[in-house]
Amino acid sequence: MFLEHLQLQQFRNYQAQGIYFQAPKTILLGDNAQGKTNLLEAVELLATLKSHRASRDRDLVQDGQTVGQIQAVVQRQLGAAQLTLRLQKSGRRTAIINGETLRRQQDFLGTLNAVQFSSLDLDLVRGGPGERRTWVDTLLTQLEPVYAYILQQYNQALRQRNALIRQQTADLDESPPQPDITQLALWDAQLAALGTRVIRRRGRVIERLVPIAQAWHREISGHTEQLDICYQPNVAVEQDEPTVIQQHFLEKIQKRAIAEYYQRTTLVGPHRDDIAFSINQTPARQYGSQGQQRTLVLALKLAELKLIEEVVSEPPLLLLDDVLAELDLKRQNQLLDAIQDRFQTLITTTHLGSFDAKWLASSQILTVQSGKISANDRNQADILKHSG
Amino acid sequence: MAQALTDAKQQVGLCSVCFHLSADPVCDICRDNRRDNRTLCVVSDSRDVIAIEKTREFKGKYHVLGGLISPMDGIGPEQLTIGQLVHRVNKESIDEVILAISPSIEGDTTTLYIGQLVKPFTRVTRIAFGLPMGGDLEYADEVTLARALEGRRELE
Repeated sequence: MFLEHLQLQQFRNYQAQGIYFQAPKTILLGDNAQGKTNLLEAVELLATLKSHRASRDRDLVQDGQTVGQIQAVVQRQLGAAQLTLRLQKSGRRTAIINGETLRRQQDFLGTLNAVQFSSLDLDLVRGGPGERRTWVDTLLTQLEPVYAYILQQYNQALRQRNALIRQQTADLDESPPQPDITQLALWDAQLAALGTRVIRRRGRVIERLVPIAQAWHREISGHTEQLDICYQPNVAVEQDEPTVIQQHFLEKIQKRAIAEYYQRTTLVGPHRDDIAFSINQTPARQYGSQGQQRTLVLALKLAELKLIEEVVSEPPLLLLDDVLAELDLKRQNQLLDAIQDRFQTLITTTHLGSFDAKWLASSQILTVQSGKISANDRNQADILKHSG
Repeated sequence: MAQALTDAKQQVGLCSVCFHLSADPVCDICRDNRRDNRTLCVVSDSRDVIAIEKTREFKGKYHVLGGLISPMDGIGPEQLTIGQLVHRVNKESIDEVILAISPSIEGDTTTLYIGQLVKPFTRVTRIAFGLPMGGDLEYADEVTLARALEGRRELE
C-alpha cells in the first residue's frame, strides 16, 4: 500500500497542509516542536484510530478550533481509497471511507496499515506490562479489526463489574453488605467469555510473531543471541479451548473473591496480562544492555511489518519517529535492507548528518517548520555532497 | 406548541401494568382485549415498544424495563421494573416471555438476569440478531456475522 496524499486541517499545529508523497521514503526534517511527530500521529490515527500520545480528541484539534480533520488517499492493490477522519473537541468522531460515512468506526480499520517505531518503544522492554499490552493490542487491531470491538466490549464489562464491586463494598463499615450474587455471577460470565476471546487472540498473534522476531533478532545480533518471547496471560491457558479457558477464568475469580472484595477491583483477567522478553534465557528488562534492548525492539518492529504484510498481503507503512539517528550505521543498513523500497517509510529527524548516503539517495526530503511543510531541494543537494 | 409541550409533560405518565408511556393509568395496549395476554415482550424503553408496534406483527403485550442494568450508572435490577415483571409472570398466566433487548454488554447482562428469574415460571425466548433484510453476506461485518452464526437455526 502507498500513502499518496495526506491533508491535515486544523489538526495539532497544522492549519491547512497537504502533502504528496513521491518516494518510497520520506524524511521529515525540522527542529523540535515543529510538527514532525504530529504528522506521523495523523497517519497512526488513520491506521489504528488511536494515538499513543493523546487519549482525548480535544488534544488533537488545533487550539482555538472545534473541528479538525485528517484526509488521505491510499493506493492499494484493489484500487485507491480515500479516508477521512473528522475530530471534534467534544470527542465525537466521524469516519468516512470513499465518501461514505461509517456507522461503526471500527470498519475504518484495515484500509491503512502502519507500524510505528519511536524512541518511546524502548518502554516495551523497560516499561510496565501496560505498555506491552497496548503494543500487542495495537498490532492485533490492525491484523484482526474485529479485535478492537472485542477489546472494547471486554473493557466495558470490566468497568461495569468494577462499579458493581465498589457499590457492593461501599458501605463496608456501616451495614453488613448484601452482595447481589446473581448479578455479580452474570458479570463474571460476561468477563470470562469476552476475556477468553481477548486471551486467545493475544496468544495466537504472539505465537505467529515469535518465529519472525527471532529470525530478525538472530540476524541483527550477528547470530550470537537467542530471543524468546513468552505470553504470560493472567488466566493460564493450558489448552486452547474456549470452554476450558472460561472455566479456569471463573475458577480463578472464585479464588480471588476475598482479595477482590478488599481491593474493590477486578483482579482476574487479560487486563493483567504480560509478555516476557528474554535474551539468552535472561530477562531483557532487568539485564539487557541498552544496545541489546534496541536490537530487541528493532527485531520486534521488523517482525510486525512482516506479519502485517503476510496477513493483509500488502506491505504496511513504517513510521520512524526520531529513531533512525539513534541506530548505528550497521543497524541502519540492516533496517534499510529489510524494508528496501517495499515498505513506504516516513522518517522524522532533526538533522541529516547521521544518515547513510543510501538512505538519502532514495528519499524525498521535506522540511517541517511551525506547522508548515515544504520540499527542500537545497538541503537534499547539501546533504548528498556532505555524505558523498 | 408551548401549550402542547406543557400538556404532554403533565398528562403523560407510565402505564401501571407495563410501564409504557401513557396518558391513562393503564395504556391502550394493555387495555386492548383483542391482544394476546399470554405473550409478553420485554423491552428496555418505550421507544422500543413504538418500534415494534410499527411492524404490526406482534399481537401480545409488553413490559418496559425503563433501562438496562448498568452498575456504572448506578442502575441495578431494583431501579428497573424487573420485580414487577416477575410478579406479572407469576400472577398472570403467561405462555411465553420474549426478551427483545439490544445485544450490548448491558443488554446481554439484563437479558441473562431476567432469564434466570423468569425461567421457572414460563418459556423464555430472546429475539434473533443477525443480517439485515436485503443485506449481502459478503458485506456484513464480522461482529454481526458472528452473532448470526451463534443464533443459527435448523432448516425447516
